[in-house]
This record gives sequence, structure tokens and C-alpha cells, in this order.
Amino acid sequence: MTSIPEPLPGARRAGVPADARRRREFSVFSGLSHVALAIWALMVIVPILWTFLSSFKTNTEIFGDPLTMPADYSFAAFGRAWDKAHIGTYMINSVIVVFFSTAGTMLFGSMAAYVLARYKFFGNRFIYFAFVSGMAFPVFLALVPLFFVVKNLGLLGTHTGVILVYIAYSLPFTIFFLAAFFKTLPTSVAEAAFIDGCSHTRTFFSIMVPMAKPGLISITIFNVLGQWNQYLLPIVLLPGNVEDKWLLTQGIANISTSAGYQADWASLFAALTMAILPVLIIYIIFQRQIQAGLTAGAVK
Amino acid sequence: MAGIKLENVDKIYAGGTKAVNGLNLDIRDGEFMVLVGPSGCGKSTALRMIAGLEDISGGTISIGDRVVNDLPPKDRDIAMVFQNYALYPHMTVEENLAFGLKLRKMPKAEIQKRVLEAARMLGLEQYLKRKPAALSGGQRQRVAMGRAIVREPQAFLMDEPLSNLDAKLRVSMRASLNQLHERLGVTTVYVTHDQIEAMTLGDRVCVLRDGLLQQVDTPQNLFDSPVNLFVAGFMGSPAMNFANAELVRGDGGASVAFAGYKLPVPEKIFADKPGLDGYFGKPLILGVRPSDFDEASNGNGDWARMSVKAEVTEELGSEINVIFMIDSPPVEHKDTAALAQDAGEEEDVTALPLAGDKSMWTARVNARSHVRPGDSVELAVDTNNLHFFDKESGLAIGHPANR
Repeated sequence: MTSIPEPLPGARRAGVPADARRRREFSVFSGLSHVALAIWALMVIVPILWTFLSSFKTNTEIFGDPLTMPADYSFAAFGRAWDKAHIGTYMINSVIVVFFSTAGTMLFGSMAAYVLARYKFFGNRFIYFAFVSGMAFPVFLALVPLFFVVKNLGLLGTHTGVILVYIAYSLPFTIFFLAAFFKTLPTSVAEAAFIDGCSHTRTFFSIMVPMAKPGLISITIFNVLGQWNQYLLPIVLLPGNVEDKWLLTQGIANISTSAGYQADWASLFAALTMAILPVLIIYIIFQRQIQAGLTAGAVK
Repeated sequence: MAGIKLENVDKIYAGGTKAVNGLNLDIRDGEFMVLVGPSGCGKSTALRMIAGLEDISGGTISIGDRVVNDLPPKDRDIAMVFQNYALYPHMTVEENLAFGLKLRKMPKAEIQKRVLEAARMLGLEQYLKRKPAALSGGQRQRVAMGRAIVREPQAFLMDEPLSNLDAKLRVSMRASLNQLHERLGVTTVYVTHDQIEAMTLGDRVCVLRDGLLQQVDTPQNLFDSPVNLFVAGFMGSPAMNFANAELVRGDGGASVAFAGYKLPVPEKIFADKPGLDGYFGKPLILGVRPSDFDEASNGNGDWARMSVKAEVTEELGSEINVIFMIDSPPVEHKDTAALAQDAGEEEDVTALPLAGDKSMWTARVNARSHVRPGDSVELAVDTNNLHFFDKESGLAIGHPANR
């Protein structure tokens, strides 16, 4: 995918060697970048393929000769993961939690971002930076206090607790991203809405939110991916005594830990595959919006 | 419908910048009022204060009989057309037009009727189902107008609505705006920096500068008797010519001397401009409109003569602008400086490098003339339309507002 610009007629007369050198530089550079990209692609694709293939193998195959293809493609491991390891339940749990937490994050995040981006009031910058500084906090640091806060609220071991923590945990980046996005939208459209008779709330929901759709979609996907893969928070907030409330990530980890050396590795891989697929599908469908969203805030 | 009244309106921004300073303006019911001035003169701020999009720092604004200082925009019963149209991008043209009415809980049939009526008036019927992105600039502009029209408000506020259109479309939209106002008769406040728009559209024109009102009058009166150097230089294109001059009394009556020329000043001017006779022997600033020149050969026997050498000619088809130099340094006054600065911001009008002691004058002559650059031309000047300004204050001498 390299395009070497056609040299100008004048440049050609100026000297062939210079022209050739430039062409060589181009090909060396593009060659190297292709090698780098190829390596990167392998690093991403091989583990995923390995996971997919391993879910069709038996334990013996996995440990005996890891590089061979599975002997036969049966979905037995998927069935075992679904039934015995309760991956089905965990997946539903995950869907419920991620649905509500993403919805909450987007609702509160977009409202806060809009106000912080558009309205001038005392303390605006302070609140904004307080939110944004949340991005610098590693979740480990807050783990112990978080556990006690949730416990004191009586929400330990409930999905509500996890959802609330997810929302709080996702707000900083959501606000940071959306505030930048709202700032790029023209102010006159909101003013036109005021004159047409909109209240501030109505302006936000019927004018600004539809206009901010590209940004909202990409940050929604970002949050879905992040919250779907969350492991540390659920393991703290949904302890072992509420096994039926566990999330997908906990369920998968449980397959490998519960049976010690006797673990059913094939169903572990099958469970992983089932966890990866929805995310992969979402990503493939919306990849264009994600790209658009990533550059939207940066380039005005 | 209603008139709009601004009394001592101030706008002071955080940081102390005074964008609008003690503005008094009485816009009559059904009038088309144009606010004009160079960029940063406070005209848009004034409009936005009437709309309620900016707080008022001082004074009162009333629409009809209501003081609207503390009313939000939606309760002021006004509609606004924005420079960049500000259409709702996710709604079709029809929804854009209907949105304001829906919010006011108007019955569906009435909304439908009004939207269709406005669409027909503006020629938008076949675009009703399209989104703004699929429209051309002129069509978007009409949708923005339509959104204002369907509301049937007390007043239209327009913030440079034509400035994003190309030149030709702007002229035709200008004509349709005029027609529309004629037809609807709604009080309109129109902001522009384009003095041609101001002249052609306004029933009255209000010239602002640095937040201060300079003059409000009909376009013709602004052109014929500007109140100061700034208004004189701002209204009219090409701009009025200025020179430092002196009034002298000679054998044949009074005359004005500048840059080696001497033009007789008719008695009528002294009668029209009381106080001018007090300026004999004192320096003042002379102003001559380019349109008050003509070629001497065109049979205007009683006009005064000026022999000049044409440096540049701009042929516009119907007329020719003859640019020539006079032996007098350019007039330096805060008013003319502000004008030069403003012209420089938009486009480089005076690109000629000027020698320090020469200034450039423009004469507009008939296109049948055969003046070419470098030719010597005998110009005739209509001395009945000479303008005189005080050298210190820049005010027009003898203008009713300055007496």
C-alpha cells in the first residue's frame, strides 16, 4: 500500500541519482514498517487462533504436541464449559452488569461532560480536573477502601454494587473524552434550540446528544470492552459465597483453579472463546466509529 | 409584532472589555433595522443581548411593552437566523422547521400548515424530507429563514445571515430578504459588516463603533450627511476621499484649499452647515465622495475643475474608478485609522505603496470615458456635496446632531 509520488519533470532533469535514492529510502522505510506490522499482526492473531483451536483439543493434545491441529472438531468442550462450569450463567451475569454499567456511565458521563464543556460556573475547572485526575488512579490503590465502602453500603456480593463501582471507575475517561468532543460542536446550534424554546435539558437530549453520536458510540464501545474484560473488581466485590452472581472472567479463572492439575483446559479455552467472540464482533462492527471517535477529540 | 427599545444598554465582559456602551436604540414596529460596523464594534453582542443569549450588564431592553432583561430567549418571542445557519443536523428540513412549534405544543395540523406555507414561500417544498447535509449553502440559508418564519415571532434577529454565501447568491438572497420583509412586515434587526447590505436592506441603519452608537438614520441620509469621519469613511464604496484643507475667503467668495487645489464653496453650504463660517483660516478636513466627481468633458459647466493624473483605473463595466494622487499627506485621525485597520483585516484594499506626503483619491467617472493609467484627466467636482469635518473631533461641521 505504498504510493511513490510521480517525480516532477523538473526533478527528473535535476539528477537521476537523487531521485533513485529517494525511491530507495521510500522502499526501505515502507518495507521495514511492513515487517513491523506483520510481526504485530502475528502477535495479535496467533494467540487468538491458538485459543480457538485449543478449545477443540483434548488435554493430551494440548500438552502433548501444542503445534498440531486438533484431531476432530467437536464442540464437547464448549458444552462442558457451558454446563459444568456455568459459563452460561456467568455470561448472562456479565451481560446484565455491563449493560447497566455502560448505560449508567454514558448517561452520567455525557451529562457531566456537556455541562463541564459548555457552561461557565465557579468551580467548573476544579470539578473537571477532579474527574480527570481519577484516570491517574490505579484501581489497585483503591481496592481495599472500595471493598469496605461497598460492604458498608450493604452492596457486597450484589450486581448493583459492581455496576455502581464500574460506573464510577469509567467516568473519568468518559468525561475527559466527551468534554473534548462537546467542545468541538458548534455553539450556535444549541443557541438556536434555546431560541426555538428548548430548556437546557431538552437541548441536551434532543439536540446535543444526536449531534455527539459518533463520539458517544466510540466511547460506549470503549467502555463495553473495558468493563467486559474487568477481572480485578468483580473478584473483590463478588466473593466466593455468591458464586451464582459471578461474572464471566471469574468463571473462566475458576475453571483453571478449581481442579488444580486436573483442570479441563479444553473447556477453559472454550470458555475463553465464548468470552472473546462477542467483544470481537462488536469491535468488527463498530471499528469505523472507533477510529472516527479516536481522532475526533484530538483534531478540532 | 412589536418594536424593540434599547435604553442605555451596556455589555461589559469579564476582564472589563466594554463591548456595548450606553446604547440607545428605538426600533419601530415593522421596521428593518440594520446594525453595521467593523468587526468587534459590538453589533453582534447587541443582537445577542436582544435575543437573550448574552446577559445585559446595564440598561433595559424591551420588546413591545415588556422589559425582557431577565427573560430567557424562549420567552422573548423572537426568532434568530445565525451566520452558520445552525440547523439541527440530525433532523430533516421538515423537522427543523417544525421543531420550534412542537416545543410550543402547537396542534399537529397547524404545524403542518405553517411548515408547508413557509416551505412554499421559500421554495423548499421538494427538500422537506432531506437532511441539512444534503442541501446547498443557499438552501440551508433558506431553511434557517424558514425556521424563523414559521414561528411568526414578534421580531426577527439576523446575525450576518448572508455572509457564508457566494457573491451572486448573496445578491439574490438580499433581494428575497427585502421581499420577505415587505410581505411579512415583521420587525427585523439585521447585523452585518457589509455596508452595501446595510444600505440596500435597511429602513434605517445604525452605525456602531467600539460599542458606541455613531449614527442612526435612513441609508440615504447616512450617505449624504454622515455625522463624523468614521461614518463618512465607512458608508459608501469606494470610500470617501479625505484631505487636510483650509477655508479661505477670496474675491469670488469662499473656497477650500488643499494639496494645491482650490475649490469654490457655494453659499448654500454655509447656509446648510451653520458654524462652518467660523472655520475660516482654520485647518479642517475636507471630504469628497468619489461619486461627486465626473469628467469635465461631460457637460457639467458649473462644477469646479481639478486636473489630475490617473495612476490606476478600475473598470467596472458601468463605471470607472480613477485613482489619483494628491500632494498632501494622508489624513491622520483616530476615525480614519480605525477604518484603515478594519479594511486591512478583511482584504487588502490599499495595496499601493504610498509615499509619505501623498494620499490616494478615487473618482468615479462614466464608463464611456477613455481614461487610462498615466493619462492626465480634467475632473469636475460637484461642490454642493462637499463634506467638512473638524480636525480635532472628527465631527461633521454643521451636522444637526453635532450642533
